[in-house]
Amino acid sequence: MSESEPSFILEMRNITKSFSGVHALRDVSFQCRPGTVHALVGENGAGKSTLIKILSGALLADSGDILFKGEHHQSFSAREALNSGISVIYQELALVSQMTVAENIFLGREPRRAFGIVDTKRLRTDAEKLLKQLGLEIDLDTEVGELTVAYQQMVEIAKALSKNADLIVMDEPSAILAGHELEQLFQIIESLVMKGVTIIYISHRLEEVFRIANEVTVLKDGSLVETRPLKELNRAELVKMMVGRAFEEVFPEPTNQPGDPLLRAEGISTDTILQQVSLTLQEGEILGVAGMVGSGRSELARALFGADPLASGSITIKGKPVVFRNPAEAIRKKISLVPEDRKQQGLFTELPIRNNITLPILKKITRWGFLSRANENEIVDQARKQHSIAMTSGSQEVQYLSGGNQQKVVLAKWLQTRPEIIIMDEPTRGVDVGAKFEIYQLMRQLNKEGIAILMISSELTEILGLSDRILVMREGRIEGEFKPSETTEEQVIELATTRAVAAS
Amino acid sequence: MNRSFYQKHSLVLVVYALILVLMAIGAFNSERFLTIRNLTNVLRQAAYLGTVALGEMLVILTAGIDLSIGSLVKLCVLVSAILMDGNPDNVWMAVVLTLGLGLIVGLVHAFLINELNLSPFVVTFASLFILQGIALTITTKPIGRASRDFLLLYSQKLGGVPIIVYYFIFLILLIMFLLRKTVFGKHIYAIGGNYTVAQLSGISVKRIRYGVYALCSVLAASTGLLWLMRMGVGDPVIGKGLELNAIIAVVIGGTSLFGGRGTVIGVLGGILLLTFTDNLLVVLGVNQFISGLIKGIIFVAAVALYKQNDRYKGGFTGL
Repeated sequence: MSESEPSFILEMRNITKSFSGVHALRDVSFQCRPGTVHALVGENGAGKSTLIKILSGALLADSGDILFKGEHHQSFSAREALNSGISVIYQELALVSQMTVAENIFLGREPRRAFGIVDTKRLRTDAEKLLKQLGLEIDLDTEVGELTVAYQQMVEIAKALSKNADLIVMDEPSAILAGHELEQLFQIIESLVMKGVTIIYISHRLEEVFRIANEVTVLKDGSLVETRPLKELNRAELVKMMVGRAFEEVFPEPTNQPGDPLLRAEGISTDTILQQVSLTLQEGEILGVAGMVGSGRSELARALFGADPLASGSITIKGKPVVFRNPAEAIRKKISLVPEDRKQQGLFTELPIRNNITLPILKKITRWGFLSRANENEIVDQARKQHSIAMTSGSQEVQYLSGGNQQKVVLAKWLQTRPEIIIMDEPTRGVDVGAKFEIYQLMRQLNKEGIAILMISSELTEILGLSDRILVMREGRIEGEFKPSETTEEQVIELATTRAVAAS
Repeated sequence: MNRSFYQKHSLVLVVYALILVLMAIGAFNSERFLTIRNLTNVLRQAAYLGTVALGEMLVILTAGIDLSIGSLVKLCVLVSAILMDGNPDNVWMAVVLTLGLGLIVGLVHAFLINELNLSPFVVTFASLFILQGIALTITTKPIGRASRDFLLLYSQKLGGVPIIVYYFIFLILLIMFLLRKTVFGKHIYAIGGNYTVAQLSGISVKRIRYGVYALCSVLAASTGLLWLMRMGVGDPVIGKGLELNAIIAVVIGGTSLFGGRGTVIGVLGGILLLTFTDNLLVVLGVNQFISGLIKGIIFVAAVALYKQNDRYKGGFTGL
């Protein structure tokens, strides 16, 4: 029986694609076995997205062809891909937040009766069936915008299933999930695979790849490195395949001892979710904050940075009480925030690197009220050397940099203000392995200069590997403090998720 | 339901409560106010704002805007009066051609937005001036004449209720049905809620836009006919600033200017609130010019309230 079945559900052969002369993909061949989870990994810019876009019909390959379910396709249009059973779940979820769960699942494909009237009854029963298949208990009439990101993602998966997808591509699904949400996603993936659905799973997080995937394909600089069963690999080998060099130690060791307490928060609460949070941040340390999405991590950052007013509690810096009415006051007290979403909150992506870096210190680089281009260039040059930013010149627009380099620009920007405290919300999100290491090194370098870092992260390896101390948050409170040497990932997850109630 | 009806519609309920307050003030100050006669009168008045506001709502739900409806109403009053020219035999011809004019204007709007990729604001803002220019080129003095039968429709009643009110109720039910029961309606919300998602879901965004802008303009044309019924002549004064009143009514009714959210019941509340405000000022004998001031304040207050509500409902994400 297995003889007659094709051994691959999908074969992409010799795919080449270039954008204005630059090769994004070079002769890449990629095969996927039916009913398996196939991981696709590589640094940013390795060509993963391009490959997926070609598969989903969003882009047309220059050469090469695609075999799906034994059928030959010279090129895929978006509709053709959809109709033949390929669904892609992008990181930016394709849902209309004002519409209900049921409406979203069947958006554009509503069951209808005569005269274009929606068959609401069938819409609901069909949606219910799908959610049941996935073992989800979500109210069909809830507006999607009211669901947690995790549940929104589940709705996306239900949507993919409703299209009878045989192949579901998940583009970094875990980037927005934490703790038990991720566990639930894995369970769903397992049940989908049992039903014969094939999953292509793109992720930066290698633990996940090892946890759920059967095979892994590594891309680097637009070329195929290798496809291997994960059983034959260990983490170090996989990292080596991705970056082309071995990482002995991913996390740099601290070279200094934490110093005096710098910032102390006592019993701070806000109108949002923060409740009675107390913490101390010492000179030259990295204080890691772990917790699920929605545990109050980002709200803590906002409160310390003066973006949300305190309802109660107090903050002292070097023993002196401070009250921040807005971020500008916090910046004056030498606090910087490197926000979670650098494109929305950290950078002007359409402006040159130069303007981004010097924005916080424009006053300092003026001569008789006019900006001094020479001063500006000097600062940018320094930043480039110091943080090894890969860029063509200071006038390059930030949007054309890779994620890792963008993050370095954000850091360079805030370092101009000579901060003593830096709050980093997800410092390495969407950053490839090589650049991650550089950012870690930079953080330790800052520590050495006495700068205290409060690091919020969803990546437990990062929290455990880099922090000097770890705080675990849940439901707006701090649930515990650990030393990384005395704790495990399991303990942190346990504390971050117990008693956690699922949405709706 | 995740949230109770009251939570979800609390602000729309505030709008209706305000209407009751206005009615109470009216009743307290004038015995004429709470009579069937005055109330049906107000409803008939509401139809004039209501027909354009319902069309405007559809456009705003797709995250668009139509600034031209006041000018279109003006042009349609003139065109229908000229075509009818007091002759009962011309009534149907005038009605059909006027509505046809509306249809064409709406389709042109959608064409420019869809095919030339212009923003709805730019297209309809230009249209505001173009249509007004055409109208005022035709005449600056009253022109044409309604036929006698057509004129009588204004005061004609069925079971004590003006037939214009029936037309208004019919439109309310129609739009409600459209938005709640049809694929077209669902797709209107989808486009306004998230354009890219709608497009990626295989929704023909262009077709929906053609439909929405056409409907909005046809409704405005029908408002022009209602004005002809009322005035008996094509008066070029009609329609000035109507688009702004319509937008205010739509927004007070809880429709998001960014699209994707809004209900007919809410917009009806907005329409009634504005109409009662005007009516009350007449009944109280207050200077009419203060009406703009009051509407402006209600408008800002409504948007501020809706915004606060959103903020606490949706929680806060990021900076």
